[in-house]
Amino acid sequence: MRRLQKFKPAFWDHRDVAGSHPHTGFNFARKWKLIVLFTSFMALLPLFIMTIVDFNLTRRTIEDEVKNSMSKILTSAAAYISFCKGMNQHDLDFIARFESGENNDMFVVNQDGILLTSSFYYGKSGTSSQFNSSMFKGKAGIEENITPDGRSIITGYTRVPNSSLVLVLVKSKKMLANLWLKPRLKLIGYLIVSIILILLSIMGMATYLVGRIHSADQKRIKALHHAGYTNKLASIGRLASGVAHEINNPLAIINQKTGLIVDLFTLREEFSSDKRLVPLTNDVLDAVKRCGNITRRLLDFARHMEPSIETVNIEKVIEQVLAFHRKEAKHRCITISVDNPDSIPGFKCDRGSLQQIFLNLVSNAFAAMENNGRLDIGINFKKKNVIITVADNGCGISDDDINNVFEPFYSSKDKHWGTGLGLSITYGLVKEIGGDIMVKSSLGKGTLFTLTLPITAEADNGK
Amino acid sequence: MKQAYQKLDVPKKNSVEMPSKVLLVDDEKEFVLTLSERLQIRDMGTAVVYDGKSALDLVHNDAPEVMIIDLKMPAIDGMEVLKQVKQTWPEIEVIVLTGHGSEQDKKKCMDLGAFTYMQKPVDINLLSKFLKKAIEKIRTNQ
Repeated sequence: MRRLQKFKPAFWDHRDVAGSHPHTGFNFARKWKLIVLFTSFMALLPLFIMTIVDFNLTRRTIEDEVKNSMSKILTSAAAYISFCKGMNQHDLDFIARFESGENNDMFVVNQDGILLTSSFYYGKSGTSSQFNSSMFKGKAGIEENITPDGRSIITGYTRVPNSSLVLVLVKSKKMLANLWLKPRLKLIGYLIVSIILILLSIMGMATYLVGRIHSADQKRIKALHHAGYTNKLASIGRLASGVAHEINNPLAIINQKTGLIVDLFTLREEFSSDKRLVPLTNDVLDAVKRCGNITRRLLDFARHMEPSIETVNIEKVIEQVLAFHRKEAKHRCITISVDNPDSIPGFKCDRGSLQQIFLNLVSNAFAAMENNGRLDIGINFKKKNVIITVADNGCGISDDDINNVFEPFYSSKDKHWGTGLGLSITYGLVKEIGGDIMVKSSLGKGTLFTLTLPITAEADNGK
Repeated sequence: MKQAYQKLDVPKKNSVEMPSKVLLVDDEKEFVLTLSERLQIRDMGTAVVYDGKSALDLVHNDAPEVMIIDLKMPAIDGMEVLKQVKQTWPEIEVIVLTGHGSEQDKKKCMDLGAFTYMQKPVDINLLSKFLKKAIEKIRTNQ
């Protein structure tokens, strides 16, 4: 069973996980069976028909040949008998025995059906055979019939010229079957070999084709989900930038009005007595500045949701992503450290993809960690590659799961947590920008993601 | 259309020359009126209009030295005003001050000849600094 398992194609146990829509999913195993059945039927049917025709043709040829040889023997023996007139019993016996040929039974009967020579099938000479003159209608003939003891035989006869005697030659059908056995075995052998070859090739082709369809279908589903995810991110980006823009206007009004109050306080004497007024309004201005920073950050982030290749500074991108998690980190007492010993040159890359990659990795790390966790990010530069490590000391990934973390729809979190797409999309994005991602983890100790990004030739330094 | 550039009558604190004719264009009335008042406190003459058309009319009658315009306005938007002003009166310096705007908008404005591009909410001191720089540029060009 185990060995069989190895040959089982990947699509066989395919269940349409994403099959929210019943018509989008395929039952690949059923498709495969249908194809194999139909094609086998269509391929084997003509083969069978041809074989049967050929079988019959060969049998008939062999039968004809046997009958031909029988009539030849009969004719020559009859000619011999008629030539030597006035033969005695002994001579007839001699002729019957030696002219008959191998495995044949030849004997002479008179017109009343009395045997003149002894016969293997019909008894000694002098006894009556079942033959009588009415059975020998023509001058000569060959018929198939059955002996008194129930054996199938072929009977050939010829009248001896110028006498009332009839020469009979009996050939057992069993002998004929033996003669016929070899070509028959050959034919059946060919048939079996070709059936096996045809079935094997049909099954092979069907497996290959359905396998291709299966993998193409998997790719399609993945692409659809990727597109959906990107779309979702783009909408979030649009929403965020819309909110940021709208908030900027009233914020500007608050800013100016408060600024005017400060101006008035400094200009007019009557307010100078209250020392608290100016610091209070300055607090409002500080709050406005903070809001402005938030909207600016949102705008900056949303701007890069659209794909565009530009020179990016990896440290800044990571800092920007971390900025979104700083508050949560503070609440949950998570320590974030960024270690960048090497100075990384700016390189051409899709900034949005980088943001999504790090956002996914950092979000995952945060989801995996308890309070008081620790997130270490290392940025290194080695052999024209930027190597970024994202390490957390969270719950880790079990050995069973680790090989599947980049598979779509694979989620070890509870069902309501996520789609199981985050890491598969991260993987897709990394591959898209020509990088590589690896994961190492030990259960209960933490997870380490290592991201390798190539710096292409057109990268320029600094910036 | 006649509209004087109003100047608050306060004693000068410093001798640095400030622009005497600043035109503020923004459809956010509360914002632009307050900003105008604060610039007047800072020794500048300002005029306020709320849409692109009146801005162009006013520039036609009484050209300002510096303009502060918002990008998003009804009918004629800031980008169009900037384009027309820079075509007809290249000596007027235009500061774009907007709550909307992206990197592309910024690039487009700078290509059209804006003096600078600022995002709301803006610090008044920063704005004053740029106004000062603009007037210095005008003075050196004269």
